[in-house]
Amino acid sequence: MSRARPGGSHRLGARPGEVIDRSRTIEFRWNGVTHTAHPGDTIASALAAAGVRVFARSYKYHRPRGLLTADIFDPGAILQVGDEPNVRAAHRLVEAGMDVRSQNTWPSLRYDVKAVNQLAGRFLATGFYYKTFIKPERLWPTYEKVLRRFVHAGEVSPDSEQPYFDKRYAHPDVLVAGGGPAGMAAAVAAARAGASVMLVEQEHQLGGHLRWGDAEDLRCRDELVAAVEAESNIEVLTDSVVAARYDDNWLAVVQRGLPHVAERLVKARAGTLVVAAGLIERPYVFAGNDLPGVMLSTAVRRLLNLYAVRPGSRAVVFTANPEGDAAAADLRAAGVDVVEVDARHGRTVVRATGRGGVEAVELSDGSRIEADLLVTAVGWTAPTSLLNMSGANPGYRPDAARFVPDPAATPAAVIAVGGIAGDGTRDELVAHADAAGREAAARALALAASRAGSADTRDPVAVPQLGLHHHPELFFALPTGGFVDMSEDVSAKDILTAVKEGYDSSELVKRYTTATMGPAQGKLETVNTVALVAHATGKTIAETGATTWRPMYTPITLGALAGRKFEPVRHSPMQPWHTSHKAAPLIAGQWIRPEHYGDPVAEVRNVRQNVGIIDVTPIGKLDLQGPDVAKLLNLLYVNKWSQLGIGRVRYGVMCAEDGVVLDDGVTGRLAENHYLMSTTSSGAGTVWEWAENWLQTEHPEWQVHVTPVTTAYASINVAGPKSRELLARLTDVDLDNAAFGYMNVRTGTIAGVADCVLWRIGFTGELSYELHVPASYGLHVWETLMATGADLGIAPFGVEAQRILRLEKGHLIVGQDTDGLTKAYSAGLDWAVKLDKPDFVGKPELAWQAARGEHPKLVGLRPLDTSVVPEEAAQIISDGGYIVGRITSSRLSPTLGRPICLGQVDAHLADPGTRLTVRLRNGSDTTVEVTAEHAHFDPEGERQRV
Amino acid sequence: MMLLTCPNCGARNVSEFRYVGEAKSRPDPETATPEQWRRYLYFHRNPAGWIKETWYHGSGCRRYFGIERNTVDNAQRPAGVTS
Amino acid sequence: MSRNGQRTPRYSAWSLVRHGLGAGGEWGRAFRHHTPRQAYDVVIIGGGVHGLATAHYLAENHGITNIAVLEKSYIGSGGSGRNTAILRSNYLTPEGVRFYDRSVKLYEHLAADLNFNVMFSQRGHMTLAHNDSSLRTMHWRAEVNKLQGVDSSVIDPGEIKKLVPYMDVSASTRYPILGALYHPPGGIIRHDAVVWGYARSADAHGVHIHQKTEVVGIDVTSNRVTGVRTADGRRISAPVVVNCTAGWSTLISDMVGVDMPVQTFPLQAAVTEPVKPFLDTVVVSGTLHTYVSQTDRGELVFGASVDPFASYSTRGSLDFVEGLAGHVLELMPALSKMRLLRQWAGLCDMTPDYSPIMGLTPVEGFFVDVGWGTYGFKAGPVSGEAMAACIAHGKPPEIIAAFGLDRFEEGRLVGEKGAAAVGH
Repeated sequence: MSRARPGGSHRLGARPGEVIDRSRTIEFRWNGVTHTAHPGDTIASALAAAGVRVFARSYKYHRPRGLLTADIFDPGAILQVGDEPNVRAAHRLVEAGMDVRSQNTWPSLRYDVKAVNQLAGRFLATGFYYKTFIKPERLWPTYEKVLRRFVHAGEVSPDSEQPYFDKRYAHPDVLVAGGGPAGMAAAVAAARAGASVMLVEQEHQLGGHLRWGDAEDLRCRDELVAAVEAESNIEVLTDSVVAARYDDNWLAVVQRGLPHVAERLVKARAGTLVVAAGLIERPYVFAGNDLPGVMLSTAVRRLLNLYAVRPGSRAVVFTANPEGDAAAADLRAAGVDVVEVDARHGRTVVRATGRGGVEAVELSDGSRIEADLLVTAVGWTAPTSLLNMSGANPGYRPDAARFVPDPAATPAAVIAVGGIAGDGTRDELVAHADAAGREAAARALALAASRAGSADTRDPVAVPQLGLHHHPELFFALPTGGFVDMSEDVSAKDILTAVKEGYDSSELVKRYTTATMGPAQGKLETVNTVALVAHATGKTIAETGATTWRPMYTPITLGALAGRKFEPVRHSPMQPWHTSHKAAPLIAGQWIRPEHYGDPVAEVRNVRQNVGIIDVTPIGKLDLQGPDVAKLLNLLYVNKWSQLGIGRVRYGVMCAEDGVVLDDGVTGRLAENHYLMSTTSSGAGTVWEWAENWLQTEHPEWQVHVTPVTTAYASINVAGPKSRELLARLTDVDLDNAAFGYMNVRTGTIAGVADCVLWRIGFTGELSYELHVPASYGLHVWETLMATGADLGIAPFGVEAQRILRLEKGHLIVGQDTDGLTKAYSAGLDWAVKLDKPDFVGKPELAWQAARGEHPKLVGLRPLDTSVVPEEAAQIISDGGYIVGRITSSRLSPTLGRPICLGQVDAHLADPGTRLTVRLRNGSDTTVEVTAEHAHFDPEGERQRV
Repeated sequence: MMLLTCPNCGARNVSEFRYVGEAKSRPDPETATPEQWRRYLYFHRNPAGWIKETWYHGSGCRRYFGIERNTVDNAQRPAGVTS
Repeated sequence: MSRNGQRTPRYSAWSLVRHGLGAGGEWGRAFRHHTPRQAYDVVIIGGGVHGLATAHYLAENHGITNIAVLEKSYIGSGGSGRNTAILRSNYLTPEGVRFYDRSVKLYEHLAADLNFNVMFSQRGHMTLAHNDSSLRTMHWRAEVNKLQGVDSSVIDPGEIKKLVPYMDVSASTRYPILGALYHPPGGIIRHDAVVWGYARSADAHGVHIHQKTEVVGIDVTSNRVTGVRTADGRRISAPVVVNCTAGWSTLISDMVGVDMPVQTFPLQAAVTEPVKPFLDTVVVSGTLHTYVSQTDRGELVFGASVDPFASYSTRGSLDFVEGLAGHVLELMPALSKMRLLRQWAGLCDMTPDYSPIMGLTPVEGFFVDVGWGTYGFKAGPVSGEAMAACIAHGKPPEIIAAFGLDRFEEGRLVGEKGAAAVGH
């Protein structure tokens, strides 16, 4: 690795406002060469101090580019730092050991091969790609690959280490966006008025433009900073930005520069938002305006006064305002030769020339001045993004040569202060901000009071109106040349061409040329673009209007937006047992369940032969109490519930109002006015809200109390011919078939645990009991069952075995054997639907479906070739290749030793015995036959009734 | 994030609520024609402006309630509680 | 292509070189301004891809050129310029697959047909499955697609990793990737170019495109459309008025008293700063409500499902970008240092069955091409072609027969609702 010349060839002696720590020196690398910097230096200031002039190559033409704004928006200083792409090098502070590289160069920044595009530039005019590569069509993919090589950006790496990001909530009464003089004054005033304040500043220090000002500015800065620091209820966030404002002052604040946190998203709900974003200096459009050495006056003053860097040795300062004059004075004081070109006296710059940087400047009077630095000070852009996001669109004021927000259109919860609101002396702006800060506090405190139920008794603060100072309109030099958007390599000529081709509004020009779509999102480019469109169309800038500013104000990392991962999962109380018995996990919505314990087929056989237990805790459970529960059940389910006796259980199906099957499950009556409802696992939340919706909105007169108890109970299904024998050893409930028959419910003690609910039901088709035990005893009951049933051959079974068992039995699964259009009759639930009930949810559609009878049907299907198990989702096709149905469930039945299926088929193909063709995934066909019943095994249900 | 005012709980983040939809009255299922029933199922006024609608405060008091909201700017004003 | 006797300058590499050398003269306007006529044969409301394609095909296929396209803002300002420009045809129902397949086929030759490079990048489209049931749905779609002759299959995590090396396909994630529906003909396109290409062609055929012309009323006499009224006080006569709007389709249909089974929801999208190309495939995850692709400019374009409540507001939300970023990093953890540049929203007219409403209405002469939910851009060309045929012949062609407005009152919903998922 080579070493650079000793850093600091352009470093000046100590400056009064400098932000670097000269007592220390740190090293970093720039394109492989070691450079030095002082703490407080940005990457760009350190490189500029070392005499680096070219930082990057441009997008299309690979022109050399240097510093333009010397702040976070600088399009010329976007660099790769380690594995982080697109780092704003004029904002990011140097850290020891940083590996900084230029991004859009090959093979090197100095000798960039793609710079030949400059020669081809006349053919790469705006929209060129819309006009070529059209034929032959087969070559477009190749052209596209070439275009993609030109992508102007840094790179990510698939295995780069990911830093830590997090989030925070904040609830300040007043949030001030911008820590310049107005922002600080507003924050102090709001705090003194009793508001809690968050003051957010994008740069690394408070002070805004005062930091690079004269002695008086620095004194003012020090006073305001001291006042901010004296207020205990102001929280200051520097190197942070209000990236976006959303409804009701929900603000996205990005906080950087924290130890151990790459970036933090602070989500703030502010009472009042004070926008104090200041003004952004607008570049001037003229031929050669992108040459390294062309800089804004603010960039020059930043470099000189914050970083003690001399940006050139012979300067032309093109100025139209006092800030430009001050830049000229600062340059002179730093020993730079300066020629001033004063726009207020009618002189303008028309061209800068040079190879790899400014060498000479040509003026409108034809004169030519040799210089290595051209400073422009032609006006300002109000970065009104946060106001736009608040619904207030600024209007153009030709007298001030900028867009200005309309206070009347700004919502009450948002107040603009400082340069964005208007012009004035430093003291006038501070006085305005002081009043606005007090008003902001008053509005925020009144809002908080009204939300707490108190009346608004405040006295409004009179906020003086800021005026506007005259500023000449200077956007571009004619005949036009130069770049409007340096990030996108869009020239003034491109804008004019686009308008001539018919893209003659701001929005169409933006989309056609991509002007304003780069990293600064138009903060430097929008007004010049609009001015050119206005010039080309013969309209005024006000008529032309600007494009919409959208979030983000400055870009925010995906890491900060994502924050830490909070993706909760649910486990049953028996999970430790499942884990220690090597259960294969199955993700079922929020739940993690055992899919099997190694051999689902063996699990099926054991249930059919001995006894198995399955953890069914995720089944939704609702406790229903009150005198009107039966009415609710009659309304929600398609079948009848009025006659359900105490101690009885019934299967029920719910449909939505369009007749489509919504959920199913069993509900048991525990006492006169007390029922327990079960739902599918995934439907637990939906059914609860569904029941509440009907109770609260349609039948508030019904007395029913619904309590979700899904996780209050651990649920275990004990299934198999030996389940009664097993359970008899552990419960005080009389299990005799006569005392506790099929489809009954009992409460009692199991394994010493009181208040358990036992349902005798049979999803698996075997004699089985579903136990709901208080959740904290779930593991105990499970382990006791396993230990007690050892001699009976007990084994656990998982979801896969249950799927096979239920398919053998022909029980449908809502959402698998039905879909978003399957009405109850199509699910084969004819027996359940009771159209003679007075009302139930979905009844009219079901009545019409029954009357029409043309609907698809769910049927049992038996593959004739017993060696072929059709895949689920395989399509059933007619002779002509039309789709007439599909396989919804399919397994090889261990009990029957042959494949078994359920499927949806068109009505005319649903008769038992019909043979159908199934197109398999491998493209071959197989034949299945419609069976008489859904159940392939024990259709009479004898095994579950024993 | 928009704030929504629950009649029980006051102004809360809208993420606490579930949007149920335009407030509609259910036709009598015994007498409704298919056309009437399907207009109830599928059709919406969908105005650009004020509308009566139902929300559910799922992460709060769990009440269904009615509110009037302007669909253009999401401004709100109270409506009678639907229950 | 002729335009009132004048030849429209053709776009080609050769013409580009001639222009570059200064020999080509002016390119000419791709679309011109006109003074509105008092009467047109057809008035199309909405200057997006649907309206402009309808105008193009009316002229190109049916010789009807006395057409006005009325756009209240600038062309492509609505959904056409706000969508994430993903094209695919791997739908669930045979009618859906046939319809979108025709659209993809038209898109494949659109650049040549319109003499405007729309930059269709058929880079492949994958829809991830994170659980059993979505994997089953992917198989369902693949089987239906194959039967319709559409290239579509389910691939395993190893094949996914080969196509997208940045994807975390390990089993230990919260939403492990079990497989994906892979659809090689799917991809992305330059959406604005499609709008401009159709506009330029329509203009060359003599169609009048009136931008910044908002329709405020539609005149109906004896249940027959007679014309429209615009915000600048004009009345334009026309026996045929076509509602090709998205977001405002209810409001336009209200003008003639035709009720719509439509609810308008914002759909948000976002774009990152560019990075060097690393993602060659469109990636969609229904479970994570996310889709992502990388443009030729290097930006990642993200989208999700519609907002959780109906609204005409396009201001966007922080929740959306937070959720999006979390989900994208769940899929591709190495992207945490990439920065989100911009977010925006468009309006989607959602229908009860996730399918459009196309064709005739109870008011004679009033046609609709609306209810495009989140899938309107994909269907631009085929919709234009079918609506043009529908208008020219007075009845819907077979390819859109299932999408009539009458299906809702008759209870014949289209089966795309069968497996509702993120539709991109």
